[in-house]
Amino acid sequence: MRMDTARADRITAILLAAIGVIMLWAGWTMDRLEFRDIHPASIPGLLPMILGAVAMVCAVLLFVSAQDAPQAAPQGSWGAMALAALWSGVYAVLMVGALPYYVATTIYVAGFLMLFDREAPLLRRAITGAVFGIVTAGGIGVLFRYAFLIRLP
Amino acid sequence: MTGLESFASALWALMTPMALFHVAWATLLGIFVGSLPGLTATMGVALLTTLTYTMERDAAILVLMCMYVGAIYGGSRSAILLNIPGTPASAATALDGFPLAQKGRAGYAMGLATAGSAIGTLVGIFLLVMLAPPLAEAALRFGSFEFFWLALFGIVISGQLTGGSAPLKGYISGLIGLMVAMIGADGIHSHIRLTGGWDDLNGGIGLIPAMVGAFGFAEVLSVMWQAAPQMAEKTRRGARSLPRLLHLWRYKFTIVRSGVIGTLVGIIPGVGEDIGAWASYAAARRTSPERDEFGTGSTEGLTAAETGNSAVVPGALIPALTLAVPGSAPAAVLIAALFIHGIRPGPMILIEAPNFIYSVAAMLVLGTLAILIFGLALTPLFIQVLRIPRAWLMPVVFTLCVIGPYALTQRIFDIWVMVAFGLLGFAMRQMRYPVAPLVLGIILGDLLDKSLRRGLILSDGDLAPFFTRPISAAFAALIAVSILLAIPPVRRGLAARNPFARKPS
Repeated sequence: MRMDTARADRITAILLAAIGVIMLWAGWTMDRLEFRDIHPASIPGLLPMILGAVAMVCAVLLFVSAQDAPQAAPQGSWGAMALAALWSGVYAVLMVGALPYYVATTIYVAGFLMLFDREAPLLRRAITGAVFGIVTAGGIGVLFRYAFLIRLP
Repeated sequence: MTGLESFASALWALMTPMALFHVAWATLLGIFVGSLPGLTATMGVALLTTLTYTMERDAAILVLMCMYVGAIYGGSRSAILLNIPGTPASAATALDGFPLAQKGRAGYAMGLATAGSAIGTLVGIFLLVMLAPPLAEAALRFGSFEFFWLALFGIVISGQLTGGSAPLKGYISGLIGLMVAMIGADGIHSHIRLTGGWDDLNGGIGLIPAMVGAFGFAEVLSVMWQAAPQMAEKTRRGARSLPRLLHLWRYKFTIVRSGVIGTLVGIIPGVGEDIGAWASYAAARRTSPERDEFGTGSTEGLTAAETGNSAVVPGALIPALTLAVPGSAPAAVLIAALFIHGIRPGPMILIEAPNFIYSVAAMLVLGTLAILIFGLALTPLFIQVLRIPRAWLMPVVFTLCVIGPYALTQRIFDIWVMVAFGLLGFAMRQMRYPVAPLVLGIILGDLLDKSLRRGLILSDGDLAPFFTRPISAAFAALIAVSILLAIPPVRRGLAARNPFARKPS
């Protein structure tokens, strides 16, 4: 799957135009603070309106000039990327804050190793992953908690 | 006190065992960060910023400067050994560095890169000391009208130069950054804008979470997406040799020219080290008698690229310190770090902290000496570091990406911001949008907004002063020319008239 194609540019252009319309509308309908008696040229919606209009112009130009990238970049593994994004997202959004930091980080690091360090057998991966996870979580946790006095999530 | 005396005094003040210890570990860490594909200078500086919250001000700035210098230099390691630039700044280095490594001259190439980086940084530091004070003094005359154009100029020129053959994508990237900057309380009336009723957005999108996401998490995803790199076979036996001074002397003009080009590119807002390296490399190729060897293992090409990218570091700090407009993405993080540590970059810096520019120059000199020592002495160690499997390195990097932004505000929301910007940054890279203008937009959005509205208040709604004041008019003309040059027919017309353009063979 490539994302540097003319089709991707056109989809981006449509999204950008939509964002532009939203910005323009939001700037136009934004409170003009008349009750504070501010200068009419200093209304908070001024720049959002301008940016919205510029975004629509850029969207049109992007749609019109959409083309495939001249040199196709070497393609990588979308599966590995998606798995890394998913696992990292689960850690950052669901585990951190819900579990104690040390536990969440140990599970994340160990899981990452088990998923991606495919050269070793499963049992060895699990053991090294767990050990590496504990060391990483302990090291980073202690550094932030006791050296930098940060209350861990 | 003259500039030179101030610089000497600042350098002397840093000659304490603790400061030198900070220089040593931070530069070494920077070289490791830069040398590992997947860890960039911006990410290194952003993550280290989160580790300096509790440090004393000067020590924190020293550590960050050394990380910056070390990481930009460190990118040459993987560029030479793996043909993968450790940082985007080293892309030009790989063109000649990797062929040299394949010929069994990896040690020599790394030595040459080290010397080039050190000299490039020193040239840049010299220009920093010479140019920053008068620039800050000139900027004291800037009013709202000039700052409006300056902010716009930064976005336009950054989009133009980082967008490459598609400047429109650079502009769009900057535009998205400006839109992001509009979220939260506005800078004049503190009116809450564009939050959709989400209270966590009232303070706006934090720069550090956004940058750690766009440069850190996005890089983790990119590394996992790419195929695992292979090290140049002949380097495994590690032939080491130092560059002879004679060779460096042969390239004296290339080195000085690349240093000056790199510094000037650094001064241009939001452009960065990679463009500095490419511009220096292109200039060297045009004038070199060995131009046919460029791309096949030219020592002159390697020297030009490394000198050019390293000279951008002090160059990028010139507008960052004097105008609060970053010359590169790592410099953008440094601006945020300076604010965190109580230094207010901008024209007032000469009044509020008159010797700070010289202190920064002295810090960069120490960082440069450190890369010279470590770069020449620890080559085998760096080769070992490059063998760390990504499955072990990336979860550690991401763990730091999570805890770093959280540490600043202790809000889980900032972790979500980091994740969102990571996904956005990855998608932008895949679609060939430069990320630097996005960051510059987030930084300059507030300045653009406040300057536009303050200017309009001062002129009672009249737009004329935006175009009639001399500095404003000059900026407006520059922006108009830049946009004109981005129009494809104009570009093609100019390229056809360019005597240096490469003819198809």
